[in-house]
Amino acid sequence: MGLLHIPFPSRLFLTTVNVRRLLLTLILSSLLVACSPRLVNIPFDPGGRSLNSPFADVQPRVSGRYILFVSDRGDSPNIYLYDTIASVLVDLPGLNAIDMVVSSPAMSENGRFIVFCGSRDGQSAIYLYDRDTRQLRNLTENLKATVRNPTITADGSKIAFESSADGQWDILLYNRFGEPIEGITRAPERSSVSQLPELPQP
Amino acid sequence: MYAEGLAGLATLVQIARAWNRRLAQVGWRVLRAGVCLGLLLLLSACTQDLPPTGSDELNSRYSDEQPALSGDGRFLAFVSNRDGHRSIFLYDLEQRHTVDLPHLNQQGAIAESPSLSYGGRYIVYLAGDTVRPEIKLYDRAIQQSQVLTAGYRAWFRRPSVSPDGRYIVFETGTRGQWDIEVMDRGSGIEPDLPDNRR
Repeated sequence: MGLLHIPFPSRLFLTTVNVRRLLLTLILSSLLVACSPRLVNIPFDPGGRSLNSPFADVQPRVSGRYILFVSDRGDSPNIYLYDTIASVLVDLPGLNAIDMVVSSPAMSENGRFIVFCGSRDGQSAIYLYDRDTRQLRNLTENLKATVRNPTITADGSKIAFESSADGQWDILLYNRFGEPIEGITRAPERSSVSQLPELPQP
Repeated sequence: MYAEGLAGLATLVQIARAWNRRLAQVGWRVLRAGVCLGLLLLLSACTQDLPPTGSDELNSRYSDEQPALSGDGRFLAFVSNRDGHRSIFLYDLEQRHTVDLPHLNQQGAIAESPSLSYGGRYIVYLAGDTVRPEIKLYDRAIQQSQVLTAGYRAWFRRPSVSPDGRYIVFETGTRGQWDIEVMDRGSGIEPDLPDNRR
């Protein structure tokens, strides 16, 4: 009703303002869409040669060109490394073992060091895999505790993980050679310290 | 003249008395504060034998879980119950104390699975005050969180951010099983890399 009393030119003005507003909203919303995070389309492969497979693919980590994850596509859960630039799975010889259940992998920034939780006969340990030397090292051999959820720095020098040594979950910080970092992490129990072999002095 | 002098003396006496009273009051206050302080000191001395409960230790007598190191190794994010509800904490391994994260943990909302960028500027985590949790990104430079999964109708788990802060990978349940999804925040973001590589 109110609109009918407005003289013709102002009604025209009102509509142009509306059109302008509409355009502005459209431009702004398209800009917002462009800025908002978007999902990356990585091809799915039923044969298990890509990131996602017909089986559960879990616990992913991303750094640079690599995505590290655990997948049930084999006979048991195994750790896989996907190269997003070459679109292939990278070989990790000597990492996955038939008698070990692996979980929670993490990697250094360039993907050289891979740290993960491995469980053998119900005994859990934190392992470090070096892709350059293809060597696997148990970092928590002297720790009498259940361990899980490791994390590693970009240069691969420090590793933190959860330990149940004190009857609850605590966070321990170790170096790449399986030694607790002093001041932050208490040394393991005296009995296990005495079991450590003497390191040769340089 | 004499009367005036007497009146002046009276006011002087009055002023002196008022000062005296005020001084006495101040004295009492000082004494009370001293006693309180003493008691507090005594109390803190008595409680020193207990394991640390404060937030300024890496480990507390509560469970501390889900550690995430920053790329440079300076910060460690984790989940703990030490403040009465499950929240995300950030520990500075160099300065040896926890770092405040204003507006990250919200009352009545879960905050889990933290992940850090290279210098610890971005914290990507799982959060939710509703039934379905969302993936959020907390920027320590502006002390604000942003929902990354707004508009996506799916279940999410275990988000993890790349060192530069641009990519986020997470588990999603859209296809009836857990799959991996990769999110790109775009080239327009400020990367969290060491100065020589920016």
